[in-house]
Amino acid sequence: MNMINSILLVDDENLFHLVFEDACSLLDITLDLQSITSSDEAARLFEQWKTDSQGKPECVFVDLNIIGSSFNGIELIQKINYEYGNGVVVGIISSSADQEEIDKSLHAGAQFWIVKSDDIEPRLELFREDYEGYKNRTAPFKVYK
Amino acid sequence: MKIKLCKEDKQQFLDISKDRRVFLEGNIIKLIDAGSDDIFKQYLLDAKAQDISNRKKRLEVTKQVQIQNRELIASQEENEKLMSDLKEAVKKADEAKDAALTDLDLMQKKTQFELIGKIVQVALWIIIGVGVFTTALFMFAMFADRDLTIIGNTWSNLFGILLTNSFSIIGTIMGVKYASEGNKNN
Repeated sequence: MNMINSILLVDDENLFHLVFEDACSLLDITLDLQSITSSDEAARLFEQWKTDSQGKPECVFVDLNIIGSSFNGIELIQKINYEYGNGVVVGIISSSADQEEIDKSLHAGAQFWIVKSDDIEPRLELFREDYEGYKNRTAPFKVYK
Repeated sequence: MKIKLCKEDKQQFLDISKDRRVFLEGNIIKLIDAGSDDIFKQYLLDAKAQDISNRKKRLEVTKQVQIQNRELIASQEENEKLMSDLKEAVKKADEAKDAALTDLDLMQKKTQFELIGKIVQVALWIIIGVGVFTTALFMFAMFADRDLTIIGNTWSNLFGILLTNSFSIIGTIMGVKYASEGNKNN
């Protein structure tokens, strides 16, 4: 199965960065993973990538509540889709599975919602299986519980 | 794109792995092309297996730390809630204590006033009794046409003493009353 070229993870929890990095490596999901802790930094990077796309990720995983940031995950996805010209597969990765938030994220243009748990690997594997569909914009929005 | 290493580099990696058990780690292993070199192919497989084993261990530890962190945060929240409940309970207990002390103070004052009232009542009855008795005795002496010198002096002395004592008692009572009110205001 093809790997994802590059992933950007936006999550305030540093421990989850380690979990995500190890899970991606063990499952051969990607070789290029960048993890950042704030949506402000993500917005800054996307602003840069508007003029120079070097280093722009292929897929972005955004946490729902990014503590210490000016805006939350859904707002960031909205910005990525409507201000920064999209061009990436983008979705939420959160421990919450609140239907209202899921609906909001879909409205903001998220393509998937992965529920964080202690057993994240099976969900990432399923996501990887559907990834081509997300990339081609043919796969519908899906929640990985 | 795969990285191709020359024979010497491959040999150096193999030597280091044999001598010091140090292998390549991380995603870079996945980017190295072993070519037709079976020994180096095996080296890369061993390095990958070791890397996977290390990552699995780290992943487990990280997950455990995550779980412990969550539990710690939950217990911290529980502690904060308990502390808040405890403070509320202490506050309520203090309020109840203050109310009880106020009630006790009022009860004591009430008892004191009742006692003073009784003393005053008894004292006044005695005063009135003695006054009535001596007056009656004086009047009897007058109507009976007896010598009034001694009884007259006695009556006026007794009446003077009784009036003085009555005002003294009233003064004491008023003093006690004002002193109590002064303490209460303080």
